[in-house]
Amino acid sequence: MREIVTIQVGEFANFVGSHFWNFQDELLGLASDPESDPIFRNHNLNMDVLYRSGETLQGVATYTPRLVSVNLKGSLGTMSSRGTLYNEGSSSRSDSSTTWFGDVDTQRSEPRKRNLFLQSLYEEEPKEGKEIEDKDIVGCLDEGVDCWTDFSKSHYHPQSLYELNGLWMDPQDFNNYGIGKDVFSEASRGEEICDRLRFFVEECDHIQGIKFLVDDSGGFSAVAADFLESMADEYTNVPVLLYSVRSPMSQMTPKKTVSHKLHDAISFSRLSSFCKLFTPIGLPSLTGSKASKFLNLGDEKPYRSSAVYAATLHASTIPFRMRPSSSDSSEVSSSMDVNTLVQLLTGRGRQNIVAILESAMPAPPLAGKQLENTLLTNLQALTPEVTEDIEDNQAVESMCILGALRSEDKEASVSEVKNAVDASYEQAITKTKPLFCSLSVSRCPLPVPLPFPSIFGNLVGRKGEILSSPVSDALYRGSLDVHSIPIAARWRSSSAILPFLENRMGNLEKLGIQWGAMGSDVVRTWGFGREELQEMRESLSKMVSELNPQFFESSDSD
Amino acid sequence: MSVRVLNPNAEVLNKSAALHMTINAAKGLQDVLKSNLGPKGTIKMLVGGSGDIKLTKDGNTLLKEMQIQNPTAIMIARTAVAQDDISGDGTTSTVIFIGELMKQSDRCIDEGMHPRVLVDGFEIAKKATLQFLENFKTPVVMGDEVDKEMLKMVARTTLRTKLYEGLADQLTDIVVNSVLCIRKPEEAIDLFMVEIMHMRHKFDVDTRLVEGLVLDHGSRHPDMKRRAENCHILTCNVSLEYEKSEINAGFFYSNAEQREAMVTAERRSVDERVKKIIELKNKVCGDNDNFVIINQKGIDPPSLDLLAREGIIALRRAKRRNMERLVLACGGEAVNSVDDLTPESLGWAGLVYEHVLGEEKYTFVEQVKNPNSCTILIKGPNDHTIAQIKDAVRDGLRSVKNTIEDECVVLGAGAFEVAARQHLINEVKKTVQGRAQLGVEAFANALLVVPKTLAENAGLDTQDVIISLTSEHDKGNVVGLNLQDGEPIDPQLAGIFDNYSVKRQLINSGPVIASQLLLVDEVIRAGRNMRKPTA
Repeated sequence: MREIVTIQVGEFANFVGSHFWNFQDELLGLASDPESDPIFRNHNLNMDVLYRSGETLQGVATYTPRLVSVNLKGSLGTMSSRGTLYNEGSSSRSDSSTTWFGDVDTQRSEPRKRNLFLQSLYEEEPKEGKEIEDKDIVGCLDEGVDCWTDFSKSHYHPQSLYELNGLWMDPQDFNNYGIGKDVFSEASRGEEICDRLRFFVEECDHIQGIKFLVDDSGGFSAVAADFLESMADEYTNVPVLLYSVRSPMSQMTPKKTVSHKLHDAISFSRLSSFCKLFTPIGLPSLTGSKASKFLNLGDEKPYRSSAVYAATLHASTIPFRMRPSSSDSSEVSSSMDVNTLVQLLTGRGRQNIVAILESAMPAPPLAGKQLENTLLTNLQALTPEVTEDIEDNQAVESMCILGALRSEDKEASVSEVKNAVDASYEQAITKTKPLFCSLSVSRCPLPVPLPFPSIFGNLVGRKGEILSSPVSDALYRGSLDVHSIPIAARWRSSSAILPFLENRMGNLEKLGIQWGAMGSDVVRTWGFGREELQEMRESLSKMVSELNPQFFESSDSD
Repeated sequence: MSVRVLNPNAEVLNKSAALHMTINAAKGLQDVLKSNLGPKGTIKMLVGGSGDIKLTKDGNTLLKEMQIQNPTAIMIARTAVAQDDISGDGTTSTVIFIGELMKQSDRCIDEGMHPRVLVDGFEIAKKATLQFLENFKTPVVMGDEVDKEMLKMVARTTLRTKLYEGLADQLTDIVVNSVLCIRKPEEAIDLFMVEIMHMRHKFDVDTRLVEGLVLDHGSRHPDMKRRAENCHILTCNVSLEYEKSEINAGFFYSNAEQREAMVTAERRSVDERVKKIIELKNKVCGDNDNFVIINQKGIDPPSLDLLAREGIIALRRAKRRNMERLVLACGGEAVNSVDDLTPESLGWAGLVYEHVLGEEKYTFVEQVKNPNSCTILIKGPNDHTIAQIKDAVRDGLRSVKNTIEDECVVLGAGAFEVAARQHLINEVKKTVQGRAQLGVEAFANALLVVPKTLAENAGLDTQDVIISLTSEHDKGNVVGLNLQDGEPIDPQLAGIFDNYSVKRQLINSGPVIASQLLLVDEVIRAGRNMRKPTA
């Protein structure tokens, strides 16, 4: 078995992660429920890739994510940083101190109130009239979610949740690279975080990779960069898949300031130097994008936008845990390990490590009224600053399709999906054809767990099928109406990412390096010397030139 | 007010309001930490919003747990935490000293004094106090034979402020012995060579010193021995798991056979490495010997199988620091390639055994020869007890290290503060011209906050205590405070000693921050209300 360890650093990364683990939890629940659809019961996915088995001191078996989550102190809401499973017996959890016989001065914070959803999780016996309750739960989550634990139904290991303490900072002030720069190294925080990671890696017989999510909109990108640097030292041959995620909120400010632009450039340059594949996720606005064709998103709430990203993340990582069988089974096809994906996307001809991630949620049916290319045209890039239409015959793609429907609400078989995708690539206009495309298919759709936000529009049916006419008047449909959806995700290594790279390189040059640059004070207070910045620019321009052969010629003439 | 022109939302506090804000913040922080100080202080239990419990008597830990928002308080807190980083202790003292300096200044400023004059006085007083400290300190000779009793007294003084006496005294021996274990002549002491390991098991008094190493993981093979005697220890950093090597990273297989061939070739090279280790094992091991591998890299199941079949115990993914510690504890050297394997690179331990607690495994490497690294194994019934003992052990270790490196100590129980204060008032003040005298006086009185707070926490009358201490001092004796009865004692006889470097750092940084805060004459902040009350 090839294990994956997941790391989540920063506020929005944990929001995405929380949804992600909810999906896994739902899959686990459905797999063991004799009444669920057989498609969930034999999904042929190996959950051990992401989860570990353990036992508490009392000998109770546990099954928890291999996860290290890093966030600011106070971001866990009602959840204890030790998780929920490994609580000591009530006797030892006494309030008295055994190490000090003098006075005890107790300072008790107001206990945080659990919302309806969490109350229902911790309730011993389900009450009567459960249906109504579910409705209330969904309502209360839509009303207000403060932190990612508010809608998390997964159990976590005591080693998983790490809080950065002693920063004495409001979350909104922790907003640039400079401010996070020494956080990792100070007060032996880095050592503690690395110990957490080591705990999970030591257990792995044969780790296939590390999936690293970082909210790189603020100080956390510095924390993550330092963390990645120490990982590169320690686990040299373990490939790191880096997803940098941003909430639409963090990009709402109408005008990007100099320091924002420099942050983006420096953060990208630092983070990308420690990973095998870098995938930026986070559009400035989801509402205006194609992604909201069948979804009602709203950009203000991280609870809602993170759900879309988490679903795509889930789909894109499914090939890593398909059970490799002698012949492709009827449930899954084309399993892949992390390294293979990395080689596929970055190793052919161009050494481009920055990938675009696209998704179609819900994925359209294979056959239907609109036969013309629906799947390919429905894919919406979640990576910002990419060119829409681009002629790139060097592009490499890897697509994963989960639970595709043939038509209406009939599940398609694996071979049907393959044929349909082949056909749609054939039909596609030549310019969108990639050099190479790999396809992984799983028949198991994305289950929609109860705490999933009500983001579906009224054209989405129970199984995620796309209806021709609205089912109800309700604008928002959530987990009560939609039980699962087909979803497609696609990685692309293409020159469409050039604007993303060029913007960062240009800003670094213009605002940070040039004589009298507007941001030279900013970078100096962040502690970067001129040479360091020039090195960053070098590595950025190398990335650009991989994708744009003309770049070197034009830059030489300067 | 030109800021207002630039940014209409900016909020500006003028001179007196600014000063009051900073002084109040300093006092507020002092109030929070004051009750912690000394062996009679209270322990703080913090219960978080989610029910998490933290117990601490350590100012450093307490500050880090607090959500401080006031900018002045943050500045003081940072200084105090820096104090801990540099000298290992004295966080609480720093905070209350700065608070007291601000309080004394407040009084003077109310009487119409300019902060600048006060600051000048502080500077003079600081210099004089540092000079006085040089004369007051008690030298400790650190030759080849260290004064172990002295080290114990210093460690005990620190530990007794963090833990109850019985436990503190038990830890005193542990802490002193562990520092002496890792101490090498002519080299700075690297406290990282003392591993601090914890087990949620049994009671606090089961905490002990392990001469050797405790690792927080075990072997990952069911057939490996759980206990072995007479062990050769191989410390290495060699990958024993199959992975795609860099060479064929970009290689793509055109058919299944080719892929198989690549995989077997890779597998074979891993097996070669394992075999080389087994060869070495067969060379060095007699009938009663055992062989243990502790590897920083991974070991996959096929490799574990091969090793287990040969009766070898193998641990993977050891902490990087333990590579260093193992070599110091067991001897030999860390091996980075199987080509470097020699019998000389092996270390030795009399006993290696595994201890399992739920899903947690611990491997003890004990009975080593000439250990230069050791482990303090902390036990306790729950996490908050363990965390508290751990904090105390860290402080204890630092105090021993400081003593060895300072080659001197300072009499404790408030003796230094009382003596320094009398020196400032009786000697220094007279030499100062003009109103800066008042700054010196304020500084001198601020020093008394340490004995005062000690007395207050012990439930004694602070006025009585200070009077009896100063009068006893003026008779020419060195006096500290006996917290049992409030009477003066000789700290030398009572064995109460503080670190010289902690005191020095405290006297250095306190006035610097206080002066900076006093000279603030305008506070400008754009966009947020700063008058709201904070912790």
